[in-house]
Amino acid sequence: MVQLGSRLLKGYRGGHVVIRFALGGCANRPFFRIVAAHSKRARDGKYLEQLGCLDPLPNVHGERVAGLNLERLRYWLGCGAQLSRPAEKLLGLAGFLPLHPMTVTGAERLRQRRQRPQQVGTAPVDGP
Amino acid sequence: MAALGARVSLAVPARLRALWGRHARRGLAQDAGEGKAAKPRPAFTDEAVQALLYKMTGIDLHKVFRPVRKELKPPQYKLMTEAQLQEATRKAIEEAKEKLIMPPVLDEREPIDDVLAEDKFLEGTETTKYVFTDLTYSTPHRERFIVVREPNGVLRKATWEERDRMIQIFFPREGRRVIAPALFKDENLGNVFQQDRHEDVLNMCIAQFEPDSPDYIRVHHRTYEDIDKRAKYDLLRSTRHFGGMVWYLVNRKRTDGLLIDMINRDLLDDATSLITLYHMLHPECQSAKEAKEGKLKGVDLIKVFVKTESQREGYIQLALQAYEEAMATSTAS
Repeated sequence: MVQLGSRLLKGYRGGHVVIRFALGGCANRPFFRIVAAHSKRARDGKYLEQLGCLDPLPNVHGERVAGLNLERLRYWLGCGAQLSRPAEKLLGLAGFLPLHPMTVTGAERLRQRRQRPQQVGTAPVDGP
Repeated sequence: MAALGARVSLAVPARLRALWGRHARRGLAQDAGEGKAAKPRPAFTDEAVQALLYKMTGIDLHKVFRPVRKELKPPQYKLMTEAQLQEATRKAIEEAKEKLIMPPVLDEREPIDDVLAEDKFLEGTETTKYVFTDLTYSTPHRERFIVVREPNGVLRKATWEERDRMIQIFFPREGRRVIAPALFKDENLGNVFQQDRHEDVLNMCIAQFEPDSPDYIRVHHRTYEDIDKRAKYDLLRSTRHFGGMVWYLVNRKRTDGLLIDMINRDLLDDATSLITLYHMLHPECQSAKEAKEGKLKGVDLIKVFVKTESQREGYIQLALQAYEEAMATSTAS
């Protein structure tokens, strides 16, 4: 019973509030909850508040559904919470925050990777 | 009935406004915007129009409070004096008035077509779109932010259908499904009409769709058409859908069938209020002018209307004759 108490009423040294994804669901069926939690907590452990959800698999209409409680999100950001990188990218896509630079960089890199096999295909022909 | 009518014309608009709120104000604003030069056309929400429609709906307590499928309980019997019975009937009429509040009649909503951001360099990174819904509990559903990020990088506002679906997913309402039941497709509506279940269809439609969605309007119009074609006006009498049906028919000038039905059932008051409503909505027609000059009432009003406006004159004349003969024999005997 003492072990149970220490798990529930954990006090940490340092650490900060983060807004990040907590993974749930089943095998081959992920589901993310957007959560404000202490940074030192387990990924799926006790959180301060759930701020939304994201279903990464497309539904019948071909859309990935995400819900964001913007009012509470603004509250936690005002309290000084930090965001994890996937959370920042998601909020950038949603338009709440400006687009993350890594999203842009990732898009560029993907485009270059796709163009490279075509260039490799044409290069030997251009060679001297 | 007159006392009830007077009470209704004061009470209904306040209740309607409280119930329909935004919808009514938007609908009224659209109507007011159109006819600024001439007198504005009477809208569905005007007190005079509502009073007429309410009078025509009638209150048949047995139909309003007919048994609805609920969990079974043995019937309760109460022993009452005459005064208590009258009190109970009065309270029942109050409750019936609540049940007979008419659902809103609005114009079809304009499709949403608003792009918030275009980020063309995101094209090709994703294969499916993202739909983001704002889950703030206190915002009204009409003002909620629901945006879609397409695979080609465009961030746009969600269409009305996407909005309704997302709101039903996150804030489910009883009686509403995320994907509309197949019942509301045109081919399946025919089956339901065969079984004379127009009222049930309309109740389900009100639960499922928003009042200004094209599906709601389409199902309602189909139902009214079918009732008009088969002259089954009595199915909706004493329900909350009767007013909407009368409004639809009067706007399209197809009141003959309804008029015949009313005369056959000896509802002359309803017939006169129907014609009064017709004149309110179409003040430029012949019979309206004659009625205003002559200040006609009752059967004369109907006769003038029949001569000038109706298509099925013969039938209506026959019905009127039958009614007058019946009146004559009943007064004689």
